[in-house]
Amino acid sequence: MAGSKYLILYNLAAGTSWAYIFALTVNAIYQGQTTQELWKDVELPLKAAQTAAVLEVFHSAFGLVRSPVMTTLMQITSRIWVVWGLLHPVPGPTTSGSIPLLKLPNFTLKLDLFSLLLAWSITEIIRYSFYALKEAGRAPYFLLWLRYTTFIVLYPLGVASELTMAYLAMPTVKKSHLWNISMPNAVNFSFDYYYLCWLAIAGYVPGLPQLYLYMFAQRKKLLGPPKAKRQ
Amino acid sequence: MKLVIQSRSGREVVPGGVQVDDGATVRDLMQAFHKLRPKYYPSRQRFSLAPKAGEKRGVALVPGKKLSDFDLRDGSVLTFKDLGPQIGYQTVFFWEYFGPLLVYAAFYLFPEVFYPSFKSIPTKSPVQTLALAYWSFHYAKRVAETYLVHRFSHGTMPLFNLFKNCSYYWGFAAYVSYFVNHPLYTAPSVQRAQIALGLAVVCQLSNFWCHRILANLRPPGSTEYKIPRGFLFNYITCANYTMETWGWILFGVATQTLSAFLFILAGFTQMSLWALAKHRRLRKLFDGKDGRPKYPRRWVIFPPFI
Repeated sequence: MAGSKYLILYNLAAGTSWAYIFALTVNAIYQGQTTQELWKDVELPLKAAQTAAVLEVFHSAFGLVRSPVMTTLMQITSRIWVVWGLLHPVPGPTTSGSIPLLKLPNFTLKLDLFSLLLAWSITEIIRYSFYALKEAGRAPYFLLWLRYTTFIVLYPLGVASELTMAYLAMPTVKKSHLWNISMPNAVNFSFDYYYLCWLAIAGYVPGLPQLYLYMFAQRKKLLGPPKAKRQ
Repeated sequence: MKLVIQSRSGREVVPGGVQVDDGATVRDLMQAFHKLRPKYYPSRQRFSLAPKAGEKRGVALVPGKKLSDFDLRDGSVLTFKDLGPQIGYQTVFFWEYFGPLLVYAAFYLFPEVFYPSFKSIPTKSPVQTLALAYWSFHYAKRVAETYLVHRFSHGTMPLFNLFKNCSYYWGFAAYVSYFVNHPLYTAPSVQRAQIALGLAVVCQLSNFWCHRILANLRPPGSTEYKIPRGFLFNYITCANYTMETWGWILFGVATQTLSAFLFILAGFTQMSLWALAKHRRLRKLFDGKDGRPKYPRRWVIFPPFI
């Protein structure tokens, strides 16, 4: 019972933080602010909300929730990497640059901090409010439906935006020798964060279809017609 | 008698069933099935009984036993599972151990290929040469043991394991060798390396002795569990892993390379999981009841910790 109360509180708090991030983002777009201006306001709440999500790995590891540990770990790791491994150390290019997708006369559809924060915050608001209400035993069907439908668009948008952050950060990571350890040293070891970034990007190749298909499987299980009992 | 073979979804795999003699063994059934479905050679097949009430999965048929041991008679239904492409244990072992011999030596022998940004490659320190000798001895021993010592109670494993295991062993060989043979490698004292690697060889010889004891534990063809006894097994359930771990720790001390310790950490984690599972299994099997011997108090893998 205590576990259930804790989960309700956790999900409510997390959902509220992401709602705040969402509000900041929408407000910035509405006010015509730049992504850099938004970053100044959103940096702290984003770091707090995303870092807190590490708890979910423990929730799953200790059996508090039923989601598989590895899937949760994969999801969280990539997000933590984007926040603490790209946005935090290389804020300049990541929060000012963008990749244009479609140019219209008075509007350009592009991948940037806005698209990243929109994809993340909408997903998380739905997810956390669904979990909080489910734990309280009163999740409405429309939330369940949103939880297992919006990912179809938001997940690819999120991943594309995350990779955009990597694309924007990589030249600086390379030039500045970020977090490099070079030989000679007493433990005969060297480390190049630039290559680790490439490894992380490569990790999206098997990770993306796996998580995406996992969500589709969940969707079928939870939204599909009830399975007929086999004899 | 005729057996009905179903897939897990309940579809009949061989229309009309498989005809076998009344006194046939599970192996005979597998051969007969193989004739009808040439794609599924015996080691790829798994047959199980229909799950009884309360069981999630039905009992799997053991190739060494007779069909009558499982109360199978004319018209009985069996579930067939395709285990996927199989590959022999020895083949997998050979490739996963032979690879590191070549991979490790390549960094030592052809530094100009692997460290292209260095115009001049310094002459090798004796520590690096000793490390190469130890590494090669270690994996040559593993290849030799694969053919001369080990006995495999299962003949095959899924083909995917070949790629998984080879990536692990070859990958770590490259990761360790890259740093030990690096042009900017700082060698610790030669004397330390000589002592540490000398002790590591002793560990490897002990490990070999452990493997011999394990191989001679049960008579040929038998797969029953026995309590390992003699030598270090009187104190540790998986003494072979203990010696393996110490061998690598000493290699790490001799070369003073962080990547070697990461390799030890990965290997030790995996070996500990195996050792804990084996320890638990032996303790459960030999519980001291109904005339069964009691499993003695022993360390699991790494005294004085676990």
